[in-house]
Amino acid sequence: MAKSILVVEDEPNIVLSLQFLMKKAGFDVRVARDGEEALAAVEERAPDLILLDVMIPKRDGYDVCQTIRSNPDWSGIFIIMLTAKGRDVDREKGIALGANDYVTKPFSTRDLTEMVKKILDSSG
Amino acid sequence: MVPRLFLILCFAALAATSLVAVGVGTWLISSELPESGQDITDIVIVYGGGMACLLIATIAVLWAYIDYAMGQPLAALVRGIQTVIHANPDHRIEVDDSHQLGGLPQAVGELVGQLAHARNSVSEAIEKATESVEQQKNQLAIVLQDLHEGVIVCNLNHSILLYNNRALELLHIAGEMGLDRSLLSFMSRQPILHALTRLTNRVAEGRHMRHSEGVTVSFVGSTTDGRYILDGRMSLILDSDDAPSGYVISFEDDTEELAALGLRDRLLREATEGLLAPVGNLRAAAEILESAADMTVEEQSAFRQVVLKESKYLSDRLETLSAQYRDVITGSWPMTDIYSPNLLNNIAHRLLEQSNFNAVMTGIPQWLHGDSYTLVELLDRLIRKVGNFAGTNSFELEAAAGERHVYLDVGWKGVVVQASMLSSWLDDQLEETLGGLTLRDVLEHHKTDIWSLPYRDGHARLRLPLPPALRPPTSRDGRSRPSRPEFYDFELLKRPVQLGDLGGRPLKSINYVVFDTETTGLEPSAGDEIISIAGVRVVNGRILTGESFERLVDPKRPIPKDSIRFHGITDEMVKDKPPVQVVLPQFRQFVADSVLVAHNAAFDLKFLKLKESECEVTFDMAVLDTLLLSVYLHDHTTRHTLDDAAQRLGIEIQGRHTALGDSLVTAGVFLKMIDVLEARGVNTLDEAIEASNTIVEVRARQANF
Repeated sequence: MAKSILVVEDEPNIVLSLQFLMKKAGFDVRVARDGEEALAAVEERAPDLILLDVMIPKRDGYDVCQTIRSNPDWSGIFIIMLTAKGRDVDREKGIALGANDYVTKPFSTRDLTEMVKKILDSSG
Repeated sequence: MVPRLFLILCFAALAATSLVAVGVGTWLISSELPESGQDITDIVIVYGGGMACLLIATIAVLWAYIDYAMGQPLAALVRGIQTVIHANPDHRIEVDDSHQLGGLPQAVGELVGQLAHARNSVSEAIEKATESVEQQKNQLAIVLQDLHEGVIVCNLNHSILLYNNRALELLHIAGEMGLDRSLLSFMSRQPILHALTRLTNRVAEGRHMRHSEGVTVSFVGSTTDGRYILDGRMSLILDSDDAPSGYVISFEDDTEELAALGLRDRLLREATEGLLAPVGNLRAAAEILESAADMTVEEQSAFRQVVLKESKYLSDRLETLSAQYRDVITGSWPMTDIYSPNLLNNIAHRLLEQSNFNAVMTGIPQWLHGDSYTLVELLDRLIRKVGNFAGTNSFELEAAAGERHVYLDVGWKGVVVQASMLSSWLDDQLEETLGGLTLRDVLEHHKTDIWSLPYRDGHARLRLPLPPALRPPTSRDGRSRPSRPEFYDFELLKRPVQLGDLGGRPLKSINYVVFDTETTGLEPSAGDEIISIAGVRVVNGRILTGESFERLVDPKRPIPKDSIRFHGITDEMVKDKPPVQVVLPQFRQFVADSVLVAHNAAFDLKFLKLKESECEVTFDMAVLDTLLLSVYLHDHTTRHTLDDAAQRLGIEIQGRHTALGDSLVTAGVFLKMIDVLEARGVNTLDEAIEASNTIVEVRARQANF
């Protein structure tokens, strides 16, 4: 079964690219446009990896991350935070609240795809 | 001529004249007498001789009396007046009562008395005036030292009359600037001269009376080497005739601010004008790709290349610019170095007074950089919100050193605060602050964020990272104290202790007082004394920063100069402090039934033990020595000073100048050691003492060689 990815983003232009790239890489892709949609999607079926934007409506990315991490059933989900906030302290907050990695915008689509492939391939 | 000599001469002349008169009379009479009148001649000669003797005797007596009654008193009067004039204004002129000078001595006496009185009141007035000048000078010095600006007072020749430490710092001068040296050798000449000319002209023309700035003018100067730009103000000092007599300049280092402004301008320019061309290229290529359907494959590929290249360029450029922009510090947000206990104490007091919340300070104090007022407001507000949310009124406040930040951690028993709830709290405005500042603005000004995480079992905490201090005091004065030599009194550390149940308890569960003393020297039995003692309580594996003991002690003996480099405590500082007989019982009470911990504990304990009977206290509790534990845990090295141990265990050393500072560091070291001890199978107090004893034995054997 194909590995599944949840893209949590509210900007349609980048969703377009991310969705396209991840599908092309052979992953099962779902999209959530705000924090609550994201948690509902995880509830429905836990993905293997989440591409999580920090600045999203309703519950922000930090909150989604913290909520997912507070449930032991979801501890296997790999979370990559995508954000335009590039300060040391933002990265530290993301990691502290449970993100596995932190990528600042703008990023190279090729590098991100490589990174996701590597993570999901090694997790078997 | 001296009056008495004059008298002698007068009387001598009178006597001589009388003798001549009698002699000549006698000779004339006797020469006129006939030869036969030999008898009469004899009688005349005898008469003449007798008269002469009588006259001389009378004159001598008269002289003696006049000298006694007038000459001597006059001389005494003169001597007395001279004494009053030249030596002692309060001298009372003494003249014998038998004098014949009438009212003269009394009149002179009164005159002298009045003179003395006048003189006394003058000198009293001078003394008072001097005292108040001195007092004003001291007050001025205190005010100057507290100022954030550098201040220098000069006369019109630019000789420095007064300056504060901040001036030294800003001019980047190490050590003494030196009074009476010329300001122009430290600050660039032209701006100073120009400002002074403007002011003197303004005063000469009387314009200063109406001028909005009075006798003050702003100027931008620099240090003589041109490396630092100073934002200064000069004020003229006018004397009572309104003539300039000198000037005061106050100044701040503007280098960073100006550099930051310059950088911000450059970044802004590059982020606007600099990006117009690539955006133009990108837009043109995208529009053409979209509209021109009849393009060849080669043409399409060329435009795609443009889109790719330009967007990559834009992306990289923006990334660089925003990274640079994050480091730009602009605006005059007042940030200073803050010692965490001062900040946390302030918060704890407010919470207790206004909300009846109980906040306990724990951990090792840290130096951080920020704005104290808004940080207190921020944390006070957030803690009250957490209290309402988590239903608790009991908190722990701790500062902890991180890699890049100093963390302020607020702990409580209960659940964490979700990120979005915390985020919504940050939209609150600070009540008493102008400009509708929100809690989030306070975070932004400190370039930071805040989050909540679970912590220990059943506990949660808020973590606020803050910038570390720019110049913590240890690096500020560059003073590092030499360590005391290792000190063992094997009897003291090996004495059997009745521990009872305590001995079997896990190390973390025991109450400790970690302490340190400063002394006049290394030999208590040779008369060295305690001059400072401090301790901090460690409970349940936490340092209770707020529960500390710190006293200076009057050693009742001079403090040797050699020892001051160890502790920095001078005779002056202990002058009015209580003696050891007062302080030691207070310390004993503070320790209560805790286990004592110190680095090189035998040294400190020896001083305590020697004072036991005198102070009517006993220190018979169990004692752990972090030095011995360090030797036990790290036998691969010989480096076991407190600094070594702290460095090895990653305890930040800040403010290590005092007994309390050392106690806190020792406490931090001790807590880390407990973890390492547990890993080595040393879990209880008995086992820790046992481990220490093996080291003492090894050292004792070594000492015997």
